[in-house]
Amino acid sequence: MRKRLSALGLVGVAALVLTGCAPAAQEPAETSAQAQSSATADPVEPVTLTIWSWRTEDVEKYNTIFDVYEAANPGVTVEFEAFLNTEYNQILATGLEGSDGPDLAMVRAYGGVQPLIEAGQLLQVDGLVDTSAVEQSLLAAATGKNDGNLYGVPFATQVLQVFYNKGIFDELGLTEPTTWEEFVAVNDALNASDYTPMALGAKDAWMLPIFHEIVGAARFGGPEFRDELLAGSTDFTDADYVASIDLVNQMTNYMVDDVIGVGYADSQVQFISGTAAQFPGGSFELGNFQTQAPDMDLGVYLVPPPPGAVSDKPLAAGWADGSFAINANTANQEASLNLLNWLASAEFGQLFVDEIKQFSAIKGMTYSDPVMKEIGELFASGPSQYINLVDMRYGDPTGSTLIGEGIQGMFLGEKSAADVAQYLQEGVATWFTPGS
Amino acid sequence: MKTKSVTSHARMPFLTGVVFVAPALLLFSVFILYPLATALSYSFFSWKGTLQGSFIGLENYEAVFTRKPFDEALPNAFSHNLLLFAGAMVFQNTVGLLLAMALHKIGRLKRLFQTMFAMPYLVSPLVVGYLWSLLLSPLFGPVNAILKAVGLEELALPWLGDPTTAIWAIVFITAWQWIGFPMLLYGAALGGIPEEITEAADIDGATGFKKFRSITFPLLLPALGTVSILTFIGAMEAFPIPYAVGGSTGSPAGATDVMALLFYRTAFESGDVGSIGTSSALAMLLFLFIFGVAVALRLALSRGEKRLYG
Repeated sequence: MRKRLSALGLVGVAALVLTGCAPAAQEPAETSAQAQSSATADPVEPVTLTIWSWRTEDVEKYNTIFDVYEAANPGVTVEFEAFLNTEYNQILATGLEGSDGPDLAMVRAYGGVQPLIEAGQLLQVDGLVDTSAVEQSLLAAATGKNDGNLYGVPFATQVLQVFYNKGIFDELGLTEPTTWEEFVAVNDALNASDYTPMALGAKDAWMLPIFHEIVGAARFGGPEFRDELLAGSTDFTDADYVASIDLVNQMTNYMVDDVIGVGYADSQVQFISGTAAQFPGGSFELGNFQTQAPDMDLGVYLVPPPPGAVSDKPLAAGWADGSFAINANTANQEASLNLLNWLASAEFGQLFVDEIKQFSAIKGMTYSDPVMKEIGELFASGPSQYINLVDMRYGDPTGSTLIGEGIQGMFLGEKSAADVAQYLQEGVATWFTPGS
Repeated sequence: MKTKSVTSHARMPFLTGVVFVAPALLLFSVFILYPLATALSYSFFSWKGTLQGSFIGLENYEAVFTRKPFDEALPNAFSHNLLLFAGAMVFQNTVGLLLAMALHKIGRLKRLFQTMFAMPYLVSPLVVGYLWSLLLSPLFGPVNAILKAVGLEELALPWLGDPTTAIWAIVFITAWQWIGFPMLLYGAALGGIPEEITEAADIDGATGFKKFRSITFPLLLPALGTVSILTFIGAMEAFPIPYAVGGSTGSPAGATDVMALLFYRTAFESGDVGSIGTSSALAMLLFLFIFGVAVALRLALSRGEKRLYG
């Protein structure tokens, strides 16, 4: 017989082993079948829906957003509760086990949501939610890897590109590169100046697969390569993929010496302080850059395809950052589904863009911030997926960990681009089966 | 000098004893024994998220020794824990002893220096780790800036980015933070050595080193044992400083990976839905190793002390 247990005991022993601290108590067990029979709440009747989230910094903004929903749905009260990001996964897993969990919750994307799906803690919503307004390529973020069913609605996306300081470009008479030759020329010109061409925090391994996608996506072919990889007709040792990793190595000419010792926060300071002219990074950097350097004139562009590139146009790798999902045990299933349908609507998408100031997973949003607008246009012009996050985080070791460590080894002169690709391939092959 | 007479205590009634022990025992059981037993049981089952599957015996334990990434990550991380222990014994504890002896000799400013050396020990290790990451940054860090300013440019290395220096940087940062701890323990032990013994040795014409070898060192042995065991436990459990310096992957390229980071990655960052089982197995192995070695060390030290003092 199977039984459900809280994961808190594990957290407890982690705390015991690591710090000598103590865990919390276990929640009582409950089966998902019990919840089905109690899902009789009528949305017209007064109902309070709780939503759990890891966005502690956005509580006020979400309250503003849900005021709109409450006004249009009399009797429905939405309570948005946020928990510490780093502890959220454990808090949510435990909450979903017991009877005091939320009705809806923000869940992690792709591999991150699979433990909740596998444990039967989320409501399957195929056919119950209209996802036609959602960017279809992002639905994979809330889809069960094994059963292919939908368990939520993605709410935010991130896009990868190069940020640049327009002031420095203007000062040196440089313009956004549209061809590889221009890209090299811009970086050579910056190298010859007092500025560092690119800021990169190579000491933080998680930043390196992001950098690889920015520089190399067009070289290995982005979506085309991904399709072949998932179908099993190619793997990471493919010559084009190896060449894309080699591009990363070539870029070290445009970084500070000892870039391997530079941390992520240091690289942000390099760009914000104006010592580095470009910052290859994710759209999640934008808010910080605008706050820390309000006077900087920010520009964004995609790295043009290099010679031999599989894609003839620049590619912007993106991914869903998380989804809203329904607790399988909720007593307010119907009201929760109504709310989830609204979370999949253009109305919510636009409110999300305007209030939270991030990229929505809903198609066709209007961005008032000019840089956000431009990033949105870049993604629309050459959408691609951040493969090592989107597809390679369903097992251990994850693709992004492997390529991050591998590129560090390459920067240290211990590995060639082919070695990095081999390391990545061998690592994911322990759990990744193409075509599955 | 007068010696304190030991008065015999009246035996406490059993029930009173239970009442005094119960609160601590309850907390210990709920917060330590229970999660420990739970983790032990988790490690014998298969998992899908938080859904417990079937009993699989030692499969999770087998996995952490044979399966990728553990087959390479485990020996790598474990060797770094051993290195942290050796480094702490050689640098932190010997320098701590030297400081304690130096402070024992000076009179007036002893308290001031003791407080100063012990101060980093009061700061959260995570804060210390991040602080040193900033100090050692090749771009903005003052350490390399000073080295360059005094003409030692060849020594201005990417301390935390080079695998050969990164783990030693962690040894150094750990020692910097904890140096006050052995210093205080040794200081207390030195203060407990009766003056008449050293006076008698002086009269007998013993030299400084001879006095240390024959009097101070043997009398410090219990403190040395305590410090060694606590250093061992600290080095095996090392987490906040390596995490702050090299992130959860032990950057660069696993050069600063330690067991607790491997556990953390497996439990909280792995894409594997069965990670509760494997991470529980890792945690149990680490616990058993630390517990076993600590007990063995304690026994060996007791035997050593008995031989010395009869």
